[in-house]
Amino acid sequence: MASLVMTIRETLRYRGAIGQWSWVLHRLSGLGVVLFLVLHVIDTSWAVFFPGLYEEAIASYQSPLFTIGEFILVACVIYHAFNGLRIVIFDFRPDLWRFQAKAALYVLGATVVVLIPVFLGMIGHVLAHYGEEGVFVLSLDKVIAGQLPFLAGFVVAIIAALVIGGAWNAVTGGEETTVSAKQSGSKLERFWWSFMRVSGLLIIPLVFGHLALMHIIQGVFDLTLSGATVAGVATTGSALSNGVLTDIMSTNMASILNGLNDTGTATEFVLERWNFLVGGIALWRIYDILLLILVSLHGFNGLRYVLTDYSMKSPMLRKSAIALTVIGGITLVVVGGLALLTSVEADAIHTAQESICEINPEHADWCSEFVVTSD
Amino acid sequence: MSDLTVKFKIRRQNPEVPGKDKPYWQEFTLTGVDPTDRVLEMLHRIKWEQDGTLSLRRSCAHGVCGSDAMRINGVNALACKVLVQDVGNEIMVEPILGLPVIKDLIVDMEPFFEHYRSVMPYFITNDPKPADGRERLQTQDDKDKFDDTTKCILCACCTTSCPSYWANGKYVGPAAIVQAHRFIFDTRDHGTQERLNILAEENGVWRCRTIYNCTPACPREIQVTKAIGEVKLAIQRGKREGIVRVVHAHQH
Repeated sequence: MASLVMTIRETLRYRGAIGQWSWVLHRLSGLGVVLFLVLHVIDTSWAVFFPGLYEEAIASYQSPLFTIGEFILVACVIYHAFNGLRIVIFDFRPDLWRFQAKAALYVLGATVVVLIPVFLGMIGHVLAHYGEEGVFVLSLDKVIAGQLPFLAGFVVAIIAALVIGGAWNAVTGGEETTVSAKQSGSKLERFWWSFMRVSGLLIIPLVFGHLALMHIIQGVFDLTLSGATVAGVATTGSALSNGVLTDIMSTNMASILNGLNDTGTATEFVLERWNFLVGGIALWRIYDILLLILVSLHGFNGLRYVLTDYSMKSPMLRKSAIALTVIGGITLVVVGGLALLTSVEADAIHTAQESICEINPEHADWCSEFVVTSD
Repeated sequence: MSDLTVKFKIRRQNPEVPGKDKPYWQEFTLTGVDPTDRVLEMLHRIKWEQDGTLSLRRSCAHGVCGSDAMRINGVNALACKVLVQDVGNEIMVEPILGLPVIKDLIVDMEPFFEHYRSVMPYFITNDPKPADGRERLQTQDDKDKFDDTTKCILCACCTTSCPSYWANGKYVGPAAIVQAHRFIFDTRDHGTQERLNILAEENGVWRCRTIYNCTPACPREIQVTKAIGEVKLAIQRGKREGIVRVVHAHQH
């Protein structure tokens, strides 16, 4: 901790050039994205495991607090991507270092240039949403209450990491040394250095595609629009009748998955995408699995870099930091991966309908019927 | 024209004197300063004319020995190479960061030299001595690959400008990597693989986050971050060949 405080203070005091500020922004934007990534992957997996909870999560995402967060998130992703490109270029061509400061300015400029139309598009969604009659806004205390399980999860993960780090340190012991001639050459760090660069390059098109679809073309508010077309999915049929909607358990998935969000539940939106087949291949599942694995490993290894940079004085804390990032990375890949590989029954949508009508009884015509039947 | 008045703000600390064992700032005012006076001379004047207890390290005073590295107006430099006109007439001087302060502007350089020694900064060869008992010759092209990193004077300006080093004193640091670079890319040297192995550790080159504070901090204008980047690539590819791109100053 002491070294973190000192480094922050001295980074503010040292009159380094723009490269220093690029590094600060790269770290902050990376940390911001990792934080959201954890919430997002676990929340989205609820679409499969606990559809009711997923509807609550999306209602939170549609609240002002998360809307502000979404703008910050998008800015972080875009800056981190562009500056990552800059880092990769100068890592592989160190002789071009004279251009790095100019490149850092271009990164800032490109971020702003890209953010203007992106933000305009996102503001369009926000305005359209709040312009609607009888717009539903989940109250702030409910939004915050919805995040408390995450807070508890973080605390548990940190305690687990400290226990593992402590035990690990007790077994192996000893100070972490500086480099020495006894070392035989770490292949591990070399691997991660390459991985960060290669994965970063692969993530850029994937994450930009994801952002374009989910934040710009179709905003988070559109996830729960009844009868709306689901982005990236071809429409094959027509909307289901109200009678079928209230009795969706007796309906098979094939008739629900028609490219239209019949029920106006976020769960159906997710399932429409994930079960959309191109030539028999679940394109979006493959896309999302790739993105999930690359981003989780990239994000948590980045977190390991940040945490171990500031915990080298304590071998036990350093090991705990490594344990924490391993726990985080594995949790996300496993939870998200299981969700992406699970097939879902129609009653998931039924559960989602119940949940969304509980959150907002005005959501759809069929809610009145629902609330009565579920009581 | 020696008519400037310059205000100095100096970060001081004396562990031996109670009340002064914690770092504190002290101000001094100098008159009759010439814009081309060097900061080192001004510090001398303060020590000689105003406060004899002010402690600093210097030797040659001409940018060769590298003993008067300090942070001047927020940037690491050699006090003997910075002119008053370069930094203005309000000058803030503090010890370089990341090494233990012994007194005022003097830091304990031992951790720095420990990192320096860890990369085996000496010539290693299995080849027999040349027949004439004189130099081991190499081509100008081969020499150009590490020419830049031979200029290091071990002043620690680069290492103590690095946020990674501030946070983690176990990071080997830019200067030690520059010194390793000088031998890694010397075609006559046989210790390359050993040095690459040493620097491939967690606290070796990978702690470099390409922040680029070290490059402008170098009073010898060594392209420090470039050198570190080349060592990273050499570790990555497991060889030193084909990594350093030389801009040809010498025509054959």
